[in-house]
Amino acid sequence: MKAVLVTGAASPLGQQLVRSLLADTRVRHVLAIDDLPPDRALPFSHAGRLTWHAVDLTRARKVRELLFGPARDLGVEVMVHLSEHVGAYGSGRRVYAQNVEALRSILELADAHPTVRRLVVKSHAVVYRVRLDLPVQVEEDHPLNLDPQAPQYVRDRVEADLTACARMGLVNCEIVVLRCAEVMAPGIGSQLFDYLDAPVVFRPMGYDPMVNVSSAADVVAALELATHGSGEGVFNIPGYDTLPLSEAANKWGTPVVPLPEALIRPAYMLRHRFVGSEFRYGIHRNQLHLGLVLDGTRAARVLGYRPSHPVDWPVGGPILVAPRSGV
Amino acid sequence: MAFPPAVARALTRLIGTDANRARAAQLAFANTGHGYDAFGMHPDFIAFGDALVSFLYERWFRVKSYDAHHVPRQGPAILAANHSGTLPFDGMMLWADVLRHTDPPRSPRPVADYFVPTLPFIGTLFARAGVVGGSRGNVRKLLEQDSLLMLFPEGTGGIAKPFSKRYQLQDWRQGHCEMAIRFRAPVVPVGIVGAEEQMPQVATIPVEGLGLPMPFIPIPATPLPLPVRYHILYGPPLRFDLEYKPDDADDPLVVRAAAQRVREAVEGLIHRGLAAREGVFA
Repeated sequence: MKAVLVTGAASPLGQQLVRSLLADTRVRHVLAIDDLPPDRALPFSHAGRLTWHAVDLTRARKVRELLFGPARDLGVEVMVHLSEHVGAYGSGRRVYAQNVEALRSILELADAHPTVRRLVVKSHAVVYRVRLDLPVQVEEDHPLNLDPQAPQYVRDRVEADLTACARMGLVNCEIVVLRCAEVMAPGIGSQLFDYLDAPVVFRPMGYDPMVNVSSAADVVAALELATHGSGEGVFNIPGYDTLPLSEAANKWGTPVVPLPEALIRPAYMLRHRFVGSEFRYGIHRNQLHLGLVLDGTRAARVLGYRPSHPVDWPVGGPILVAPRSGV
Repeated sequence: MAFPPAVARALTRLIGTDANRARAAQLAFANTGHGYDAFGMHPDFIAFGDALVSFLYERWFRVKSYDAHHVPRQGPAILAANHSGTLPFDGMMLWADVLRHTDPPRSPRPVADYFVPTLPFIGTLFARAGVVGGSRGNVRKLLEQDSLLMLFPEGTGGIAKPFSKRYQLQDWRQGHCEMAIRFRAPVVPVGIVGAEEQMPQVATIPVEGLGLPMPFIPIPATPLPLPVRYHILYGPPLRFDLEYKPDDADDPLVVRAAAQRVREAVEGLIHRGLAAREGVFA
């Protein structure tokens, strides 16, 4: 019976994870953390197995007070870190503190913590570099996107990922990093969701790359497996659906308009300016030309994770049978 | 050419035959659930590609195939062939030849140079027909999936060679042998005779670094390929998988020696084909 701490617990993914952990008989207690007041988050029953704390993780002292206060008192053994700034256009010190420094504080404190023995960090497929001479199917040793000109959205995620990886084996706590495929659900910060959930999709003319997308249920399942597993490492968490971009748009019911490269970036810039959309073409330019598909072999072998929840596509619904073997 | 499979099916019905469709229907591949594999290959586009090249294969180049029984019926394998002809019709003909002469049909995965997937329209159509970019990761993944790979160790150096150097193998890359040893895949040498005369090349204009997706623009002497006769000769598989341990792939001398053996085998097949043919067009 474990006590589990979840940061970012008020996010759609966090809520699903907390719900799922509360339904899990192996979990004794859930300590849910976010910066929202309790009455605005987690509106579901928990029979005394859930404790809510509103904590600003960007402040190191607050993190210390949390870990060496309620977390120690509850005997938290596993921490699941989901908290991050989801906007692709967010920038500046505060965003960096939320994306990177909060995790750094948690890692430092976890080393000396009397009860925490495992830290699960949700990372992203966007940390990977997409380039011509690199494979389309990406394994965990694939080069990361270390481009200093990349938007802060990417740089922060890469730095957070590397910060966690750099501590593996060096702290008194097992660290698991899950690099998850884009989730086709609102409010999670999925760029691909924002891209497809629009009146029209602008696709680079002449290109139709393969994309891999996930459902929130699969990411939650992976987080749970990592919570209860043993050992540490980096794992790709692919989604159930691997398909061409045009087909994903068709299944999402969004018309696709192929445009020359030179027009797409300004089109999405204008869309952001006037409609407030979060999709940022510059982050995904290479992926929208060359494609990126996560290889989940390692997660299947070590964590026992296999994507099993297809995206519920608005047109045609989920695919029910996915033959994955054969040559 | 990012059209859906339904359009490919309709086009195949229009220009293809039952044989094209039957071959594609028998293909085994790692379906990710939406009908494509992770690299974007789709059987309907194999059928379409098969139909598209039928005219060239049967009527224009009148391909003659020799000893195709050397192509393994299953398991990972690499076809290594000479490359030439200004435009890669030799790749298309070899792809079509293997598809027609394996039972059940195997669709070889052509491993193209880096720039091919960046070509708009063509890159997507090629990907649907099974072409993959030539990165080590892609090759490794396909061999792990027991795929049959088709590659040209001369690379663009082969296709860019001038007419005066026809049937002279250019700089022979070694990566295919490293992968063959590491992933225990036999290498089938292939000699292609005919392609080297199809579009005599008078010059190439290097355009690397000019923002174009290819390394050069070829200047052929003829606007269309000449109706030369193709001869495709397969040699016995070189069983590096039996001769070496996977770790031997780390030894540059072993890999170099293996690549040299493949090169010599391909040269031998080319000379055999040249000696046997009755003329360029016959």
